[in-house]
Amino acid sequence: MGNNKNPYRSIESEVLDVITESPTITTVKLKPKELLSFETGQFIEMSVPGVGEAPFTPSSRPSVKDMMDVTVMKVGKVTEKVHTLKKGDIVGLRGPYGKGYPLDSFKGKEILVLGGGVGLAPLRSLMYALFDRISDFKKIYFRYGARTPKDIIYKNEVKEWSQRGDLDFRITVDAGDETWKGHVGLVTTILDGMAINVSTGIAVVCGPPIMMKFSTFKLLDLGFKIENIYLSMEKNMSCGFGKCGHCRLGTYYTCKDGPVFTYDKIKNFPNIWD
Amino acid sequence: MNYISSKNFIQVLNVLKKEYQLYLPNKKNNQRFYKKYSEFSDDITIGEVRAFEPLKAFFFGARAKVSEDFKSEIPISKEKPFAIIGVKACDLKGFKVLDFVFKGEDVIDPFYAKARENNLIISADCTCAIETCFCLALDVKPYPQENFDINLSQVKGGFIVETGSQKGREIVEKNSSLFEDAKTEFINERDEQRVRVIKEVEKNIQEKEIPRQERFKGIIEKNYESNIWKEEAETCVECGACNSICPTCHCFLLFDQKDNQHLARFRLWDSCMIKDFAKVAGGVNPRNKLWMRLRNRFEKKFDFFPKLANIYACTGCGRCVSACPAKIDIRKVLKRLSGNGK
Repeated sequence: MGNNKNPYRSIESEVLDVITESPTITTVKLKPKELLSFETGQFIEMSVPGVGEAPFTPSSRPSVKDMMDVTVMKVGKVTEKVHTLKKGDIVGLRGPYGKGYPLDSFKGKEILVLGGGVGLAPLRSLMYALFDRISDFKKIYFRYGARTPKDIIYKNEVKEWSQRGDLDFRITVDAGDETWKGHVGLVTTILDGMAINVSTGIAVVCGPPIMMKFSTFKLLDLGFKIENIYLSMEKNMSCGFGKCGHCRLGTYYTCKDGPVFTYDKIKNFPNIWD
Repeated sequence: MNYISSKNFIQVLNVLKKEYQLYLPNKKNNQRFYKKYSEFSDDITIGEVRAFEPLKAFFFGARAKVSEDFKSEIPISKEKPFAIIGVKACDLKGFKVLDFVFKGEDVIDPFYAKARENNLIISADCTCAIETCFCLALDVKPYPQENFDINLSQVKGGFIVETGSQKGREIVEKNSSLFEDAKTEFINERDEQRVRVIKEVEKNIQEKEIPRQERFKGIIEKNYESNIWKEEAETCVECGACNSICPTCHCFLLFDQKDNQHLARFRLWDSCMIKDFAKVAGGVNPRNKLWMRLRNRFEKKFDFFPKLANIYACTGCGRCVSACPAKIDIRKVLKRLSGNGK
């Protein structure tokens, strides 16, 4: 019955480090004072004491069990406070919630990891999880788009990945600048010409709603199967376990049935991209 | 079946008072409000119809502290559990929805579960119907059939007593000298009364042409793009009264006290009719128009819950009809949705 468990309680967690990723995006490195590990794709509720709570998907390596990174874009009152956190500060963590990426079912397959903007945060954790058992998968394709070169997050990791021999890697920006020598165009423009077998390939997509919408349509055009397209749905998950009612998506709650859904599960619900 | 005289019933209340905080409906200006019991008065109304407030308030409070600092203990109230008396069948149906939400699935809300375990329900038959009553359309009879510890049917000089749980049986057994066998004439009186109240509710349903739940299947999907939503939402003032007053509405907000020295998290009733209910941090709002939120409210009650829990999340209590300052009438909306209205 879980008598002694209080699902509303946060675990005290220490800020170990704060890393500025871009003018609006910061990563905080956290150490929960009790065990709180996660599977890639699951999310947590992070609270800033006296301010409030918001859902985030950890961006760090899930096999590291005693720490986690949370990458936060400054968009609201909680995230603004997160951006003022310093080493040694205390935050609260609850979770993990929802279902992660089913890596076991990806075994032996080709996987396309497709990110947009800050949507790379959950995908970074996925990339680490994939790298941890890379021999399980046939081939990994990485495609990422940001608005401008300045908006590319995890620049070090991205650079490192670009040099890996076992990764098919391409990135783009919507608008370049004088330093940018790479591809310019929406992320959907770097999806053509992949050697991936679309009839069995897995596509994992995370990014802003508009990017996910057009990426999904593009992937369908390319021939990906609807049940092989994994989408991270952004809703305002609050409780995290299907009780508070905020994140309903058709007959699902994003918090407990998602936040990752295959497109076939949700495509018949109205207005899923809004 | 047992009978208890009104006089002896007061004695039972005094016994229960030692273990419970008793709440009984008190009549004031044609409405019935739950009021904490201290001694019996003429305003106490066991029969008649449902109280103004929904029963959920005793099990899922409008504002509850659910976590403090980072402590693992559950904040425990030292108060006695509630005994709620005179609860009507429509409110008891609400438990089917609330139990599904708070006790079902893998995570149990410890506050709700504890209240369900500790609180006592002494329900009562409706002895009349009011204009907003339409329970029969939702297949709820105007007398309790389940989810009570003890049920009372008001008859001459007292009540017919039925027990519905071990807790209820123990109360009757422990106070057996106050109860007697129910005479056939009282049982007949109860049965006649039940038939009479059913007729009154039936009359409401006939006059207002309220569809019965057999006709609700698919009404949301069928009318998803209909103008009904825009037309019905036109007068809505976004007050959220329909949500607060509804015995099945369960949505809540977690609110962290704005004090970083004394951390406290509160669970507050929320309303899906309020603009920001589904808005995400980045500002995107999937239901930025009022009519979308009205549609969402009906979708949750008449599409989501039937698909997931095999239950329509409406009890026919009519509270939202009375509470709405804009006169949005769920009965009329259902009538239009099921294609029996303009």
